[in-house]
Formats: sequence, C-alpha cells, structure tokens
Amino acid sequence: MSESRWLATGNFFTSYKTEQRIFLTHIDRLVFICFLAVLFAWPLIIEVGNKYMLVIDSILIAIIAVYGLNLLTGFAGLISIGHAAFVGVGAYTLATFARTLGGDHILLTHYWPLMIIVAGLVGAVIGGIVGLPSLRLKHLYLVIATLSFQMIFQWFINFSKFYDQGQTIAIGRVFWFTGKVGRRDHYFFWYYVILVIVVILGFAVRNLLRSKHGRCLVAVRDNDRAADAMGMHPGFTKVYAFALAGFFAGVAGALHAYLWRGVGFESFLLHHSISYLAMAIVGGLGTLVGALVGPAAILILELQVESLAEFVGHYFTAVGDVATAFRPLSFGLVIVLFLMFEPRGIANWWRMVRSYFKLWPFRY
Amino acid sequence: MKHKQFTIMLVALSFLLLLGFSSQVMAGETYKMGLSIDMTGATSDVGTPYSKGVEDYVKYVNDEKLLGDDKLVCFIRDDGYKTEVTKRNFEDFLDEDIVFYLNYSTGSTMALRQDFQEEQIPVLPASFHAGNLEGNDYIFLPIASYSSQAVGLAEYVAANHKGSGKPKVALFLHPSAFGRAPRDDVKKSIDAGLAIDLVEIVEHGKDLDNTAMLKRFQSKGVQYVISQTVQPPVATMLKGAQSLGMIAKTYGEAGKITFLGCHYGGGPALVALAGSAANENYYWTTSYKMMTAKGPGRDAQFALAERYGRDENVAKDANYTNGIMVVQVAVETIRRAKAKGKKITRAALYEEMVAMNGFNAFNSLTTVGPVSFSKADREGVDTLQLYVSKGGLFYEIGAPFASEYVQKIK
Repeated sequence: MSESRWLATGNFFTSYKTEQRIFLTHIDRLVFICFLAVLFAWPLIIEVGNKYMLVIDSILIAIIAVYGLNLLTGFAGLISIGHAAFVGVGAYTLATFARTLGGDHILLTHYWPLMIIVAGLVGAVIGGIVGLPSLRLKHLYLVIATLSFQMIFQWFINFSKFYDQGQTIAIGRVFWFTGKVGRRDHYFFWYYVILVIVVILGFAVRNLLRSKHGRCLVAVRDNDRAADAMGMHPGFTKVYAFALAGFFAGVAGALHAYLWRGVGFESFLLHHSISYLAMAIVGGLGTLVGALVGPAAILILELQVESLAEFVGHYFTAVGDVATAFRPLSFGLVIVLFLMFEPRGIANWWRMVRSYFKLWPFRY
Repeated sequence: MKHKQFTIMLVALSFLLLLGFSSQVMAGETYKMGLSIDMTGATSDVGTPYSKGVEDYVKYVNDEKLLGDDKLVCFIRDDGYKTEVTKRNFEDFLDEDIVFYLNYSTGSTMALRQDFQEEQIPVLPASFHAGNLEGNDYIFLPIASYSSQAVGLAEYVAANHKGSGKPKVALFLHPSAFGRAPRDDVKKSIDAGLAIDLVEIVEHGKDLDNTAMLKRFQSKGVQYVISQTVQPPVATMLKGAQSLGMIAKTYGEAGKITFLGCHYGGGPALVALAGSAANENYYWTTSYKMMTAKGPGRDAQFALAERYGRDENVAKDANYTNGIMVVQVAVETIRRAKAKGKKITRAALYEEMVAMNGFNAFNSLTTVGPVSFSKADREGVDTLQLYVSKGGLFYEIGAPFASEYVQKIK
C-alpha cells in the first residue's frame, strides 16, 4: 500500500490486514460516505410520487435478496433457481402470524424489526434444509433440486387452505415512535428502513468475505477437494451458504410483505427466481457491487419494457402477442448479451471506472 | 409605421389574451378516473375489448358533452394480469388525483381492497367475485357475482335435467382466485339442497389437449360441465369434446355432455375461438344484454364501435359492453352529484353510488336489469340472462332470473 491513504495508484500491500481493509483509501471512504448521504438525503429534497417510491423500495428489497443469491451462486458457486421461494418463505412467515393472530396483531405491527429477523431465521433454517442435497449434488443436478423446492413451495401455497390458496393475506400498518405509519408516509418510511438494512447487510457481507468463513465459500467454489485437503469442511460450507442465502431472502420476503401490506403467492413464482438470477448475473456474480446494481438494472429494464409493451399493445392491437412476448424476450436477450459480452457484469464497468480514476492522469 | 405595427401587435395580443381568458371561463372541471387492466397478459383477450369499451365511452362522453363543459379523463394502463403492476398503476393514478377507479382482476382487487378502503375511493372491478365485497365498503360489483352465475347455472341444470337421479356436474375452473371464486358457494348450495351431484372440480392448466380429462368425465358419467374461466381454455375443451363426439346436440342429451359457462367463459369471443365446437348448444349466462339480440342497446353499442373505428369482433364482444357499462355507472354518479350541486370528490361519488337504488336505480341499455347499489348491497345488476348458441349466435332463453340458492347461503 502506498504511503498516502488518500491516493494509491497501485496495490502495494505490506500485510494481509491492509489488503483486507474495507476501504483501501480515504477517498474510497469519502466517496462511500457521500453516496450514502445522497441516498439518505434525496427523498427529503426531491418529491417523488408513490409509484416511483414503490419501485425504488422494491429495488432495495431485491438488493437484499440478491446479496443472498450472490453469496450462494457468486461466491459459493452453488446455482439456485429457487430463490424466490426462499423470499416467499420469509413473506409467508409473516403470513403465518397474520393468519394465526390476525394481520393487525401487535407482534406484526409493533415488533416488526423482530418479525423481520424471525423471517430471516426461518428462511435460514429452510435454506439449510434445502441445501442438504448440495452435499451430494453439483451443477445441473443441484439446479434441479432447487427448482424442485420452488415447485414444492408453489404447489404447497397454491393448494393450502391455511394460506388462502395464494390469495393476498393482509398485513397491518406498522407503528413507529411517532405512531402509526399512515398511507402518506408508507413508502417513505419503508425506504429508510430498507436502506438501513441494505447498508447493514452490505457491511455484513463485506465482513463475511474478509473472514475465514467467507474465504471458505470461495475456496469450495473454486475446488472443494482442495478446500477439503486444506482443512475446510465443504459440506458444512455448502449448507451454511444455503442458510445464509435463505436468511437474506427471508429478510427480503418480510420487507416485501410489509411494503406491499400483504403476502400473495404470485410474487414468489419461478420467473421471479429467474429474475433474481438475472439480477445477479447482470450485476456481476461474485461481487458486492453487482448485488447493488443488478436489481436496479433489471427492475428499471422491466419498467421500460412494460411501457413499450403497453405502447405496442395499445397502438398495434393485431400484434398483441408480440407485446406479450416483449418481457421474456428482452429479459432473455439481456442475460444472453451479458453472458456473451460482459460475463463479469455491470460491476466490471464500475471496476474499470475506478481503475481509470485511480491511475489518472496515467493510462496504465 | 412603427406606431402602426405596435398597435396591430397590441390588438393581436389583446385578442389572444381575451381568447385565453374566455376559454378558461368556458372550460369546465376535469374529472379523472383510472383503469388498470390486462392487455398483454394471460387474460388479454378479455382485457383488450374491455379497455376499448372504456376508452370509447369516455371519448363519447366528452364528444357528446354528456357532462356539459366538464371533461372526463380515464388513464388506462396495462398490468399484464400482475398484482404488483396493478398496485403500481393504482399508486400512479392516486398521484394523478383520480376520483373513481376501475380495477380488473380478482387477485388484484382482493390484494388492494385495504388500499381502496383507506383511500375511500369507489371502485368498480371487472371481477365479479362476491369475496371482493368482504372487508371493505368501496368495491362495487357491476353485475351479479360469479357465485350467482355458477350457482344459477347449476340451478338451471337441476331444474331442467331430463334423466333420472341427480344430474352429474363437473366444474371447470381457472387456476386462480377468479376461477375458484364460486367453487365453495356451489358446494354450500348443494349442502343447502341444490339437487346436483358434483362429480369433479378441475382447475385447468395451459393444456392444449383435454382428451384425458374429457374421457375421465365420460367414465364418471358427467352430463354437464360448468366453466368459470376465460374463453381460450373453454375453447380448447370444446374442440376436444367435439373431436371425441361428446358435445350434446340438445340440452341434456343422454350419454353426451352439455357445456355451460359463466360470463367470462362464453359469448361471441368464444365462438370466434372455438368455431363450430361452440356454434350450437353452448349455454352461457351474464347480466349483459347480448349483442345478437335486437334492441336499442345493441344498436347503440354498434354505433359507438363504428364511430371510434372498432372492428366487428370488438363491437359485438360482451367485454366491450362490460367496459362501456362501468364508465356509464361512473358517469351517472358524476352526473347525479353535479345535479345536486356537489363538488365532485370521492366521497360525493361514493354517496351517489350507495344511493343508486329503488327509484334511483340506474337503467343502463347494456344490462338485463337495473344497476342498483346500497351500503348493504354492492352487487349491481342482480339478475342474469341465460343464452344458448345457435348457428354461432347467442339467443336468450326465458326471462332474466336471480339465483335462489345464493340468497339462501348468504
């Protein structure tokens, strides 16, 4: 590491500890603090309609879910296409309380931070159980196992009378120190709650990756036999990777339930799982930045495609089927293009931009 | 010269200012409504003509100045049959200060009902699920519920069955809240004494061939199938039944199956999809007047469709009627509130909606009975009409009726 903590044009680390620092330079830290300040301050300055606040809140929730998927698929190398079901487990944990105690029960409305943690823990337990086949299965076979979980989840909810066969189960409005969070402040309030959780969990992921448990994930991904030979426990590592992914997904599910004020089956279907995977791929698998930008990219793309499909459907009624096909078509195309031309995702663009400024005014 | 130019400019400016002010004085209020509907999703064949009915009637209201100088605006957004998108659309409409909302699917109506309650906004959904009315005060069903329709058809089956014993019936349902809506009420009606034998309840998938299901029906002795779904799966089933020679040529023909359907599972659009399989002897019920029947409603609908350049398929679609009717109700409430000198707000429109009964019931040309709402009864048209297809057109059978057992099990 260079002498100056403000500027560093190269990686000159003198100890392992310096390499593992969260912020390599003071400028990194400053940029991060400024960015965070902007994220916290902009809703106070710019007035945004509820529609767009809902979209922004949904992006933040997706970021939390993709943190988990990124740990599982990006860092541990275990592909899952059942992630929406894990998110659903978190949401349906709240729905279970709502069905048993009532949607306006004090546990749900006053102790909502506790409920979010409980949902995360239930997600972790279910994630660990679903992860058990990973002890025996790899690659495509593991994909099928996670797909099975997705199908079982869908089937279970769809035919369960307790969960009203997937119809929306209402969750009451929560309380804050100032009283009940009303409709006017709803999206605003949850923006801050979710943002705080995104930051906390982001640091948690970053710190996990600096610890031996995080390095175990990467080692098992790269070569589980070599990891085993070096004293790691590949089986345990894989199961806890699933449990971690389940925890993040569970938290995301609980937040989803609170934000949408209800839990409905159709938010946790297979195509949502594929969306989460697309977010991770487009953002950049195995990077924290990827988990942050991937959901934003995919959800904004979805909004644009929706508008385009509506436009086509409205003016060219005879080609309604084309309009219907826009979403899957554009979705598939984006994933394929990223896999072909930028497999490291948008995070790699961020890395290049950072490198440029790090070396500036030199090109190399 | 300069002075002359200046004078001309001043006169022109004054004229423009005068024109501007006078047009402001002449311009009335603008009332905003929103419609979130499926135009590109799983039920777009229903949603598309519905949205065109809404769009055309709003244009008609403005063109014909049915609200005087006031203007009606309806934001129409596609939700692709996804509740998440519907919620987003609804929030968008609220940002636009709508005073009346038109929703579409059963799932989204159920999911958003607490929002409707909090916003205290009158809502007319395209879903006729009786469950929409529970837990809120602001959702109004335009016509008789799916339960009334399905139970009404079952009552007709029970009353007109020609063979011995109870008629054997199967329910063919959409795999969603919309499809399942009348299932429990049919069961409750049977428990309350409705003389049918409910042999099987099928939630269809996306099958393009129903041979196995139809053969199973046959082996179980099913004589009647009541559908509560959209037209494409019914068309697939009918085509399968036709190729297997299972469709009854006359009502209740022994050894064959007589097919019946609720509002969204029939109509001219079904004939267009199923062709000869639905041309004859398909029984269908709805509260809307059928477009093949002659009368002022039919003429007005065709004239409206022609005026705004719609093709024949849209013009005669029951869901085009459906879209027209909900705007008719909204316009009528606005008109009544205006006549009483009220400011047009959500609260004022709600008051007019719940007062729309008795002598104040609204007679629409598009429905078989008057539209009546009250605080206790938010189901609009209470009566249904049974139709049967002959030569590809639907004809009325008997007079409009109301389900007897739905009243019993309430």
